[in-house]
Amino acid sequence: MIKLSNVSKSYNRGKIKAVDDLTLNVDPGEIFGFLGPNGAGKTTTIKMIVGLLRSDAGRIFVEGFDVATDGLKAKQVTTYVPDYPAVYERLTGLEYLNFIGDVYGVPRKERLERIGKWLDIFELAPVVTNPIQSYSHGMKQKIVLTAALLPAPRVMVLDEPLVGLDPRAAHQIKEMFREHCDEGKTLFFSTHIMEVAEKLCDRIGIIHKGRLVACGTMEELKALDRTEKSLEGIFLELTDK
Amino acid sequence: MSGSGGTRGTGGLRRLKTVIRAGLRSNFGLTLLKHRLFKEKKDRWLVPVIGLGILGALPALWGIILIIKGAYEMLAPMGQERALLSLGILAGQLLILVFGIYYVISAFYFSRDLEMLIPLPLRPGEVMTSKFAVIVINEYLTVAAVVLPVVITLGVLAKGGVGYWVNAVLVYLALPVIPLALVSLAVVAMMRFINVSRKKDALILVGSIVLIVLAMGLQIALGKSAGAGGAQASAQDVAAFFTSPDSLLNRVGAFFPPSIWATKAVAGGLSGEGLANLALLLGVSLVFFAAMVVLAEKLFYRGLVGLGETTGKKRLLTSDEMSRRVSSGRRVIAAVFGREWKIMNRTPIFLLNGVLVVVVFPAIFVLMAIMDPAREGGSMVLMRIMTSANPLYVILAAALFMTVCGSLNGTSSSTFSREGTQFWISRVIPVPPREQVAAKFLHSYLVAMLGVVTASAVSAVFLHLKALHLAAAAGLSLVAGVLLTAVGMIIDLARPLLDWTNPQKAIKQNLNVLLAMLADIGILTAFFFGVKMLIKVKMAGKTVLGVVFAALAGLAVLSYGLLLRFSDKRYPEIET
Repeated sequence: MIKLSNVSKSYNRGKIKAVDDLTLNVDPGEIFGFLGPNGAGKTTTIKMIVGLLRSDAGRIFVEGFDVATDGLKAKQVTTYVPDYPAVYERLTGLEYLNFIGDVYGVPRKERLERIGKWLDIFELAPVVTNPIQSYSHGMKQKIVLTAALLPAPRVMVLDEPLVGLDPRAAHQIKEMFREHCDEGKTLFFSTHIMEVAEKLCDRIGIIHKGRLVACGTMEELKALDRTEKSLEGIFLELTDK
Repeated sequence: MSGSGGTRGTGGLRRLKTVIRAGLRSNFGLTLLKHRLFKEKKDRWLVPVIGLGILGALPALWGIILIIKGAYEMLAPMGQERALLSLGILAGQLLILVFGIYYVISAFYFSRDLEMLIPLPLRPGEVMTSKFAVIVINEYLTVAAVVLPVVITLGVLAKGGVGYWVNAVLVYLALPVIPLALVSLAVVAMMRFINVSRKKDALILVGSIVLIVLAMGLQIALGKSAGAGGAQASAQDVAAFFTSPDSLLNRVGAFFPPSIWATKAVAGGLSGEGLANLALLLGVSLVFFAAMVVLAEKLFYRGLVGLGETTGKKRLLTSDEMSRRVSSGRRVIAAVFGREWKIMNRTPIFLLNGVLVVVVFPAIFVLMAIMDPAREGGSMVLMRIMTSANPLYVILAAALFMTVCGSLNGTSSSTFSREGTQFWISRVIPVPPREQVAAKFLHSYLVAMLGVVTASAVSAVFLHLKALHLAAAAGLSLVAGVLLTAVGMIIDLARPLLDWTNPQKAIKQNLNVLLAMLADIGILTAFFFGVKMLIKVKMAGKTVLGVVFAALAGLAVLSYGLLLRFSDKRYPEIET
């Protein structure tokens, strides 16, 4: 569960308002798609949820833990995939996974099982002992995703997770999203791919100039407009101001 | 490529200026600094901190000036004072030769902006010139501490005229060109003819070590040559040597003639000798630079393209192998420590500047001892006599040596900066900042201990220290190591440099490393004056040691506690 209430964040001493009084709830078992044009405030919101940025106002709860005051407990139940896979290039893929397993306290049995499963799915097994430096962009993205899945977190927060993935991996990731949420866990991700959001998400939020301009199921969004447009049409209309 | 006909020349020059300006801006972060200082108003506190750091280093600088003055007063009556100038300039140029190799390899071949520059319609020589300009400016800063005190002190003492100062500025500007062009020529040729795409890390490491050894070899040869006249030479030879003006200058500069030209240009001022040597230095610098550009046009891109690609063998692990390699769960501190250890040791630039430096100081000391031409009357013996006069001095001098070897490196003061854009991982993992910082401290302190142990071994062998004195000195330096490591980490944590694209910037060109060194020098200078005062009031030697140890231990505990508290506050503030 993720809950944002009246969250604001600005840069440059208040001159640039990145997120403006954002209130949002993502329930357990829900896949929530977060859409918005470039610079709308998606990444800023995501970074505030995972504790990389501090909000100027408002409160953020993850599984009931306030990220400002109970950050460590919130981190223990959350994993995050950034929009660019900046990982320790000098470690091997397996060393990185071991590091993540150690800091999240993943027991050995589960660790072996999950690492084996995701390396197989992502076809990373043959290169897992090579330095991450030698991986392609897509492979780096896959190792970050594997690391995010390793602790089997209650909440996953992903910023553009499908960028750089080949169609097979993208398909597997989408299936994983569904499985993850079918277990009652929460998934919050940003994307620019409208079809993915339309088909995959239980609910969608559209942010524009830091404000949430629409939020709901696909049907609720269509009802807002009453013209039975596609998500792309709704998105373009809402953000064309 | 560029425009046609008549506009080609001016267009090319304008383009070159743009590339150089962009290189300088991105490398020195001027745009970012301006933005942070004047727009975000974030880093304003840095200004007084840097001022304070420089103030802290002033006593040490004053000491150096006094030494130069002493040497000048000794050499001037014999007409040998120019040798001092030559020694300073030569030391600066050798420094450029040794450290230039890091700069050149990493700037020419491994900085990430190359991926952006190569597809642009720029000539290889233009890209290389832009990189060269960045390195030259870096070298001005690096050699300032070695060359400027000598040039300025001598100028003041010898009452140098306008010519002295004008030439000094021109010589200083030209100083890095020849050694850097030499290094560049060697590196560009080497990168073209050796296929290094798979072993670039090993190459940096081996190449740098080979060059350091060569430069040190040069110094040994220089030392031997300078001392050759010592024990065996007749009294007449010695007299002739010292009565012939500039004989010492010529001997010192014989290994690198540009240092003789530079010396004569500065000392000669506007005289014929001065101007001729200035013209020679500038002319040869220009020739070397041109040679480098010509070679760059032919070879630079050929050695560069494909270098960024790294490959690894594909091999599927058996389930047994996988089971063995998957950790069964280490403690968090061990996991973070392991990460620090591996990343440091596997990044050549970090390894060279952080770990190798702690053994370079003792190695230089060993070389000095070995090259001492008159074993039974040389500087080592003198040092032994000096330090055996009073056990207190022996212990304190050895402790200072060990502390300098162990702590004056960039490991602790770049520990957060080294994480770079990957710092987000440290921010999102469920590990309290103080535990992460404790692991980082352990890593930095281990590197410091390596320096202390090496320096202890060297002191034991070459200075014949007694076991008790050695133990006391090592004890003091190990406690001092805690203090200096914590101070370095606090400085880096206050303003970590995370947006680098070239690892060199995280450690070698990181202002935090310089600030920490200034702070360390300030702390050691304060202790020096404190001890001096205690000796002056005739406190017993053992009591002085006790007071120093207690003060160091108190400050060590305090600084470590402060570091942990600061990490709790600072980690959430660092936005990535």
